[in-house]
Amino acid sequence: MNAPGPQAPRRMRRRFGRGNHPENKNIIRIALAGNPNSGKTSIFNALTGQRQHIGNYPGVTVEKKSGMISIDGKNIEFIDLPGTYSLSAYSIEEIVSRDFVLNEKPDVIVDVLDSSNLDRHLYLLLQFQELGVPIVGALNMTDEAEEKGIHINGEQLSTILGIPFVKTVGNTGAGIDLLLDVAIKVAGGELESNKRHLNYGKIVELAHNAVIDTLELDDKFKQRYSMHWIAIKLLEKDRDAERKIKNEHQFADMVFSVTTEWRQWLEKHYSEDSEVVIGEQRYAYIHGAIKETVIQFRKRKVIDITEQIDRIVLNRYLGIPIFFAVMFVIYQITFALGNPLSDGISAGCGQLSKLLTDIMPVGVLQDLLTNGIINGVGGVLTFLPLVILLFMGLSFLEDTGYMSRAAFVMDKFLHIFGLHGRSFIPFMISTGCAVPGIMSARVLANRKDRIVTILVSPLMMCGAKAPVVAMLVAAFFPENSTLIFWNVWLFGWLMAFVLALIFKRSLFRGEQTPFVMELPPYRRPLFKNVIIHMWEKSSEYIKKAGTVILAASIVVWFLLSYPKPPTEGVDVYRNNTPSVEYSFGGRLGKGLEPILKWAGFDWKIGVSLVAGVAAKEVIISTLGILYGMDYDASDSQAHVDFFVKDKLSQDPAYSPLIALALMIFIMVYIPCLATLAMVKKELGSWKWPAFQAGYTLLVAFVLAVGIYQIGSLLGFGG
Amino acid sequence: MNTDITERTVTNLSQIVSGKKFKVAKITAAGEIRRRLLDIGFIKNQTGCVIRKALLKDPIEIEIKGAMVSLRRSEAKLINVEEI
Repeated sequence: MNAPGPQAPRRMRRRFGRGNHPENKNIIRIALAGNPNSGKTSIFNALTGQRQHIGNYPGVTVEKKSGMISIDGKNIEFIDLPGTYSLSAYSIEEIVSRDFVLNEKPDVIVDVLDSSNLDRHLYLLLQFQELGVPIVGALNMTDEAEEKGIHINGEQLSTILGIPFVKTVGNTGAGIDLLLDVAIKVAGGELESNKRHLNYGKIVELAHNAVIDTLELDDKFKQRYSMHWIAIKLLEKDRDAERKIKNEHQFADMVFSVTTEWRQWLEKHYSEDSEVVIGEQRYAYIHGAIKETVIQFRKRKVIDITEQIDRIVLNRYLGIPIFFAVMFVIYQITFALGNPLSDGISAGCGQLSKLLTDIMPVGVLQDLLTNGIINGVGGVLTFLPLVILLFMGLSFLEDTGYMSRAAFVMDKFLHIFGLHGRSFIPFMISTGCAVPGIMSARVLANRKDRIVTILVSPLMMCGAKAPVVAMLVAAFFPENSTLIFWNVWLFGWLMAFVLALIFKRSLFRGEQTPFVMELPPYRRPLFKNVIIHMWEKSSEYIKKAGTVILAASIVVWFLLSYPKPPTEGVDVYRNNTPSVEYSFGGRLGKGLEPILKWAGFDWKIGVSLVAGVAAKEVIISTLGILYGMDYDASDSQAHVDFFVKDKLSQDPAYSPLIALALMIFIMVYIPCLATLAMVKKELGSWKWPAFQAGYTLLVAFVLAVGIYQIGSLLGFGG
Repeated sequence: MNTDITERTVTNLSQIVSGKKFKVAKITAAGEIRRRLLDIGFIKNQTGCVIRKALLKDPIEIEIKGAMVSLRRSEAKLINVEEI
């Protein structure tokens, strides 16, 4: 490679200027960048193995994956930047990537490129190069490219762009060692990687240089950022770059007036928006570079395997049935396989509780351990099989390339309600359980789409609401129980769509988010990647959501168990009052009776609904206890169901109309604690679960009161 | 009847039927959508091909710059193209 030459002083300055990480002096930091579908994850996994750490970038809920390895006594940290097509200021992921490079100044960026799709992928690489950090290109999936008859002259490409390129195959690990070696050499300054920006053509360069001259008037600013980058971003009207100027540049006004003048000149010259002009120049430059370095031996076959599959999978009429079949399989794998495992964990926790109850003296400590902690831990662990299996399925869909097809097939229908084609996946998973359902909303890249989907997903009838509704239907509508049950099930979907539309039209009004996306070629998923993905998600669930779920369930246990009813003396409560009735939660339920009366609910229902916030299935057992059942954790569910069903149907205080209002209320009102904890974890703030709990409670109440009052007026009160 | 054979018919991408090729003339979108279209390769004079349309003709699958991309019909309307 070229001698360091005139570049050396700049590199030295940068190295010394990085005083904000004194403790990291011996660590080489390598940022991994690349388009979606470039095989970046494979490369990251090949480099780091399972030594991965997942967190969020500070202040945002964009996933930050990193891994540390050590080679020849050198510690190397890899940071996986979000996969993006560009580095504009339109999405959080892109801003996060830019800011990471600008503020943290990694020693080198490794940009992963799909060799058969080089121009689109170089488009991103060149934008990273402009940020002013040395870069190495990984020409990934070269095997696939060679198969297609595409040959890349890597050396020639290196000469033209001034940066080293290494050919790799992420799936087999070919070229990974060389890639790492080159990256380390570049980081250490032994190998040159040019930070020269791409050439935008004579006209744009004129404007570009004029803006740079003005920018360089502020010495401090000049040292902080790459002037080439800031200048081109200003000409593109990049909001984030403009903000940086406004806040940090000494002569901000002058910079803005010079930029505006030159931009208008550019736009007049091309009679096109500056953002378009610059984008086109970028591609023009890449086109030139590729012409000199890429040889396509033979034309790609007109109909390749991907197209053959898509002719069936994306067929106008077969597409939707195939989509539902795929979803059915994913659903079955998650729940048919996962539920027995969850039940096993539940039973195990029950056994452990029982054991402790037997050997420990009766008292608060025993109560806390068995009913509070073990119950809570059990509550966390029962979701684990579902999370693991779900992410196995989703990772499979994503890695094969089917996920984008699913969105393609479903988008039209979901877009009517302001949703994205992929929103269907969290909805469907939520009909099993909203906890993994909300996690699966990660398939949505856009934050607005994701928030709306997460807000309405828990309206589905989940595995915990289903037995409650089934019991009520059996008690009050024995003649047409199946019909009523499925109508209530459909009602959940209807509510989700209607409320999504309302949120999209109110809270998230504004510019439409683009649907533009790539349909990547079908690929065989790599077992190792699927396993790593499952492992990541499960440990993340335990660490992040698990702790919140555990803490919340202990709080709820306390509120529903204390204070304990007095065992002797005169009290307004009977001596054998069930403790739930006497507790804080029970008193809340009783205190709400005057309001709940509007919907026809009595205090027993009130107490059960309060308890049901912990988990919906608790509603049945609480009703059982309130009806004087000698409830024991080892009682079979069927036994409890039967008891409660019997009591409710005979209680003159209830009618089918009240049961209907109650079912609708249970479908809609506050999601269970585990769900709320998950929403907090996924959206990064308590604001969203609080809003969710609030709006669902309000809507549920209004609906239940409406049903009861109107029904009574029409004479269904019976 | 216009017999001028050099006249090119500029239409928008949503009008192109499946299997036909086109050449991009101008993006009439603004803001984020324009940027995304640009990033994915809808630049002036770029050629592409409409591969297929979903049920109800929305979304649309397009081959451009060697890759398959999917656009909503409403987005395709914002791209002026000429059929080739």
